[in-house]
Amino acid sequence: MQIARLQRYLHAYTPAAPLATFRMAFGLLVLASVVRFWAKGWIAELYLQPRFFFSYYGFEWVRPLGVYTYGLFAFCGLCALLMAVGYWYRTAALGVFLSFTYIELMDKSTYLNHYYFVSLAALLLALLPAGRYFALDTHLNPARWRSEVPRWTVDALRLLMGIVYVYAGLAKLNSDWLLEAMPLRIWLPAKNDLPLIGPLLGQVWVAYAFSWFGAFYDLTVPFFLLNRRTRPWAYATVVVFHVLTAVLFPIGMFPYVMMVAALVFFPADWHERVLQRVRGLLPFSPTAPLLSAPLRYGPARRQLLLLTLGVFFVVQLVLPFRYLLYPHELFWTEEGYRFSWRVMLMEKMGYVQFKVVDGATGRIRQVDNRAHLSVLQEKMMSTQPDMLVQFAHYLRDYYAGQGVTNPQVYADAYVSLNGRLGKSFIDPTVDLARVEDDLRPKPWILPFDDEITGL
Amino acid sequence: MKKTLLFALTLLLLSVGIFSCQKDPGTDTPEPGAGPDRKALLTYWADSLVKPGYQRFNTKLTTLKAKTTAFTAAPTAATLLEARQAWASAYVEWQKVELYEFGPAEQVSLRNRFNIYPADVAGINRNISAGTYDFELSTAIPQQGFPALDYLLNGIATSDAAIAQQYATSAAHRRYLTDVVAKMEQTFGTVYSQWNGSYRDTFVGNTGTDASSSLSRVVNAYSLYFERFLRAGKIGIPAGTMSGTPLPEKMEAYYHRGALPLQLATTAHATVQAFFNGRAGQPSLKSYLDALGAKDSRTGQGLAGLINTQFGVSFQQLSSLGPDLHATFTSRNPDAVASYNEMQKAVRLLKVDMTSALSVTVTYVDNDGD
Repeated sequence: MQIARLQRYLHAYTPAAPLATFRMAFGLLVLASVVRFWAKGWIAELYLQPRFFFSYYGFEWVRPLGVYTYGLFAFCGLCALLMAVGYWYRTAALGVFLSFTYIELMDKSTYLNHYYFVSLAALLLALLPAGRYFALDTHLNPARWRSEVPRWTVDALRLLMGIVYVYAGLAKLNSDWLLEAMPLRIWLPAKNDLPLIGPLLGQVWVAYAFSWFGAFYDLTVPFFLLNRRTRPWAYATVVVFHVLTAVLFPIGMFPYVMMVAALVFFPADWHERVLQRVRGLLPFSPTAPLLSAPLRYGPARRQLLLLTLGVFFVVQLVLPFRYLLYPHELFWTEEGYRFSWRVMLMEKMGYVQFKVVDGATGRIRQVDNRAHLSVLQEKMMSTQPDMLVQFAHYLRDYYAGQGVTNPQVYADAYVSLNGRLGKSFIDPTVDLARVEDDLRPKPWILPFDDEITGL
Repeated sequence: MKKTLLFALTLLLLSVGIFSCQKDPGTDTPEPGAGPDRKALLTYWADSLVKPGYQRFNTKLTTLKAKTTAFTAAPTAATLLEARQAWASAYVEWQKVELYEFGPAEQVSLRNRFNIYPADVAGINRNISAGTYDFELSTAIPQQGFPALDYLLNGIATSDAAIAQQYATSAAHRRYLTDVVAKMEQTFGTVYSQWNGSYRDTFVGNTGTDASSSLSRVVNAYSLYFERFLRAGKIGIPAGTMSGTPLPEKMEAYYHRGALPLQLATTAHATVQAFFNGRAGQPSLKSYLDALGAKDSRTGQGLAGLINTQFGVSFQQLSSLGPDLHATFTSRNPDAVASYNEMQKAVRLLKVDMTSALSVTVTYVDNDGD
């Protein structure tokens, strides 16, 4: 019975329009992100000027390319544009995925959840048949044109969106967020000079209201977007919610990415109307025969695609829970924190003073972090243990090159989390030069001395 | 799409409307509980701390110029003594404004021109004999300002009579002394006139909390000053906490010695503390933190109180390093290290706990919540 329903679902077809609009909107947003990043001078600031970069575990070979990094961004932007217009679609989508992911892997101090989302969505787009409808490819080669696609191809994007929201909501179900209204209680009063809403932001009850509404919103909005009757309201709250976050927090393109991506929940005829409007703006008319032409995959291809998507989503569902494998407070140790849709959950600030000791003479040198790191890198490193080790290893090698024998590296780190008075973060007597940087729990992180209950 | 967007827009306007109705129109003062008033804080800082502070320093600088001019016109032990007194008095006053390294001061790197030590004595002597020098060069930073004057007025020879004699016989020395003071007056003049001009309004009007806001700049400059120039510069580096061995020759006012170096340090420390607390009933970092309700959520202790307690301990420890700071570095350096450690605790409270509570941003780059 269930199997039969699943079979029916897997063989259902839906108009290809939602994939086409998603492809165009997403491509243009990625292009805009690249242009914005470039225009703000961040390529030089983040990838050319620093002497050291924090690579991801297993991706140490991914490094900025010097002045060619500009070429990498240009390539990414070009692929995004090609993807948007649907020219050499699959190659372009793969190009966006590879170049964007490479850029993100170059330095973990720039990690943002929405960059991770962009990588995942680009990967999905490279797999999905989003270039078969309303694309330059099908205009040039009408034989490739398909008006309908398997329903699961569109639903894959909806599922990804749903995971992002629901997991972001689950992450908010903790005592700091719900019972202390942290960190919004710290962040909102800092915006109390905004016109109109400013005076409200200084009030504690507003922080609570935002916290509870935010958690409820994240947990439920995908379901409201799925339902025909609640959809317009739900989308309206998507806009209000993300506009508000854009006004209040320095989160860049994230609100716009989510606002546009959430359109994928709208039904096919709505997307068709949008495309119709775009058609009116074009000097030529992309082929739109009246016949319906469904895209039918060969059985092997279909199996492989479904299997790949299955693996992809299992990983997506499981990965955020990997923190359960680590023994201590997630927010404090950040072991298993990234790639889990934990957005805007912590006000964490740290201060770290490194000390390099000559193994032969015992001579001590205090390190000026800023001589080696950018403001952003130092800020990110000072609260994240894996980055502290990475920098310690860099210092070990740097000072060995300066003639220090067997350099020992110690860090005096002090971190505050969500309004708690700062405390010592890692064991200052542990020689970080000899500590392995891997995925195992880090025993030299000092205890948090408090509890945050929840997911 | 049109309908949905219109709908969303209506909802947005509606919500904004509801929010705005809560505020009584026609009053500019924030309601109680609306959080701290940054504009009032910035106004107080500009009009009651920075500008009057600069004005007082300007007076001392003018006196310094008059006394050094008198000395170069007639170099005797008596005119030297007067010039030296004017120098020491201006140096103490400088400690009360050095922390304002934001806005115009930051633009001209005022601190670099005024108080980077130890003085580059070899460079100064080279400049004197060459007769040509460019104070704008980065290599010239330790060849000017108060540390250069420290050497020129106190360290150039072993006795006052010998120093006066040096100036009496060497026009090059007289010229260098005059030029150092003239450069200070000129650099400070641009900063002072900008604060008295349009910058004051720019400063007060920039009420946000992003990386370019006045509050962010002040807080960053303030904690940086305490960390690098008070904790490390005045105590840490000469006490050898950075290098393992005491380096008293790197202390402030090294050539003058005596009670002055500690007086400079304690004046700076008291200034930092006074800046934090402001005057009773006036806005300050303390009142701002109190308005935010900033406290250690583990123990419930107020953050402003914790900072003040630590400032108190740190000031006490610093004051105990007298009367002669140079003697302390050479004979009982562990006390200086202890003082450094107490200041270090205050640095953490300022750089981490206070900055976090104020929620000021340090970079322009996007972030989604640490």
